[in-house]
Amino acid sequence: MTTGQSSDIRALLGGGAGEDRLATAHILVGALYLVIGGALALFALLSLRFPEQSPTSYGQVDLMASTALMLGFGVLTMSGGIYYVLPRLTGARLAHARLAGLGLVATAGLTALGVISIPLGLGDGGSPLGLAWWLDAPIALALVVPLVVTLGTVRNREEKRSYVTVWFILGGVVWLPLLYASSTLGSLPFVNSLSAAFSGVFLTAGFVNMWLLVIGFGLFYYTVVKELDVPLASRQLAVVGLWSLGFASVWWGVSQLIFGPGPDWLDGVAAALGLAFPIGAIANAANYSLTLEGSWRQLPENPGLSSGVIGSYLAVVVAGLASFASFPSIGAAASLTAYWDGIEYAALLGIGPLLAAGFVFPALPRLIGRAVPNLDRVRTFNRFTVIGSGGVLVSLVAAGLYSGYSWIGGSNGAAYVDVGEGWAQGGGSAVQTLILLAVGFGVISVLAQFAYAGVVFGTVTTGKTVPQEVLVARGADDE
Amino acid sequence: MSDVDTAAEVMGIPADLVSRSAAARAQASGTTTDEVLAAWGGGGSVASKAREEPEAATPEEPDEAAAPAPAESREPAEQEPLEMPTAPAGAPATPPPTSAPVSSAPPVLVGAYDNPWAVVVGALGLFVAVVLLALVGPSIPVDTPGARSSEIVLSESGTAGRDVYASLGCASCHTQMIRPLIADVGVGPVTLNDTNQILGNRRYGPDLADIGSRTTATEIESIVSGSGGHQAHSLSPEDMSSLIAYLLESAAANVSQE
Repeated sequence: MTTGQSSDIRALLGGGAGEDRLATAHILVGALYLVIGGALALFALLSLRFPEQSPTSYGQVDLMASTALMLGFGVLTMSGGIYYVLPRLTGARLAHARLAGLGLVATAGLTALGVISIPLGLGDGGSPLGLAWWLDAPIALALVVPLVVTLGTVRNREEKRSYVTVWFILGGVVWLPLLYASSTLGSLPFVNSLSAAFSGVFLTAGFVNMWLLVIGFGLFYYTVVKELDVPLASRQLAVVGLWSLGFASVWWGVSQLIFGPGPDWLDGVAAALGLAFPIGAIANAANYSLTLEGSWRQLPENPGLSSGVIGSYLAVVVAGLASFASFPSIGAAASLTAYWDGIEYAALLGIGPLLAAGFVFPALPRLIGRAVPNLDRVRTFNRFTVIGSGGVLVSLVAAGLYSGYSWIGGSNGAAYVDVGEGWAQGGGSAVQTLILLAVGFGVISVLAQFAYAGVVFGTVTTGKTVPQEVLVARGADDE
Repeated sequence: MSDVDTAAEVMGIPADLVSRSAAARAQASGTTTDEVLAAWGGGGSVASKAREEPEAATPEEPDEAAAPAPAESREPAEQEPLEMPTAPAGAPATPPPTSAPVSSAPPVLVGAYDNPWAVVVGALGLFVAVVLLALVGPSIPVDTPGARSSEIVLSESGTAGRDVYASLGCASCHTQMIRPLIADVGVGPVTLNDTNQILGNRRYGPDLADIGSRTTATEIESIVSGSGGHQAHSLSPEDMSSLIAYLLESAAANVSQE
């Protein structure tokens, strides 16, 4: 791909290339699912705190929320980011654009079907999604689409040098369908219960670390350099950030089941690798900070940058908490408790949306030629996301530690064994209060998700006209 | 023919897009829309204020003077891969020029690693390692001679009840897994690795691995129907019966012995 004088005028023309419209569509549908998933997550917290008033079980609502957030928001938004960035970094048009469009329709439709099927009792109840096999199979196929599109585009690349974002994207698109397929295979009826349990936590941890964070961090590497027009501080740190996310972080799933009926060596390995959880998040956050050196003053005026930076720091905090709970002495108390729900909530509704905003807010004006209409709403999103998801994280972590140590101390042993009286009741008013606190922070978190969707949809519908990148490249897909 | 139509014809792009973009261009360059359209329609250029005032530069036109020089310790700046587009398919062969030169600002979105397929291979290899260590390995039952199995003997109704237990999402709140920890003392016999119960990974409610040894069918039905702080489930008589059978059969006394 080359540039020329004519490109300047065309860069200001509206309409956009097909892949840009595709990216925008993914981002819009992803924002919709974020709102749905966030509301369901709040409903799940309410079901936990007020079970007798809940029309459906916490177990089902929790699975519905995870399905909407992981597949609907996480997969679609990050895919949109991939389709936005890939042509710009490879110099080639997006390969298999029609397939990518079909992937959007399929993923969005199957996610909706999955969310609806769970309360109808059609799911298999397995964590984290609980979808029936007849949904798992087509979803696994739909998750292959970003891989096919990415590999095709990279194969046609004009630019022979790869920016770090391309590495992260390649890693993420390879891992996502494999994660889903292996987790699905591991939870088939003829596989033992141990495998089913490990498959559930493996998928959750893998999705967060090997997809959400890998793609989110990778896309933010593009944003931060593009927005500031400064070189990346260190490719080496990016390498560390990518591969350590791929290897070490997935063990936070295993850490939840230490001392369970798995093999003895597992506890030691999980504890050792648990120490490495934060490495990926720290490496990437440090790289952003070093790149931002001398440009920090631009952050308040650049909503996307501030969101991404906050998201990367929140990732460090969450990874640190996961690492903390992988120590056997802590894990003995924290595993099986709300501690890990707090971590998952912060990952899916804190880090995920912040990293997504990190590239979505700067990307939208370039994609559609309209400016973000209200920077205050962006700041509200940042603030409420940190307060809301951070508050839920702290509340549930505290509730988990309190209940876990109560079990060990035996202070609620009798109630805990009694039929119908779980730790929430046995833990007394402290745990009840903490869950109620989590509900309150969950409300703030929902407001943040509405702010995100408001910014996204507001930009598309009412954003002021601004110069737009019109993506044109050689090697057009003939589809 | 209006200026918009003329420019659209010259550019080979829909008129509404030309109109909108001309307005944006005029704002960015400090001129009027008519001047922009006239320039585009006649193949002329628009004097860009953005070029004269670095702080007004658009994101697509990073100003060379405004861009900070890369630090020596940082990665060497090389050719920018793709930030500015070329002519679209079907565009006129000689599109109107512009006064804004193509950016020569420090290119930053470049990399030195020129073999992305190595990343793909590495990602695949790493995934295989992770699956073996974090999924397959932990899931293989340990074949210890003399170890007692944790598999319970399930009737046909109990097997159906396990499916009801799964579809209701009971495992989101209840474990069926008793660990060799102080926290689990008194709950029942430790669960071994080859159980056929649904282990779960959260314990908001009590563990149900040994529930059958400490409760009755009436109590279970009452709780599942909403008493004792439990969420109420509206189950068909058959499903309720199956679920009760599964939970009653979930008892240490009903564990198969090898």
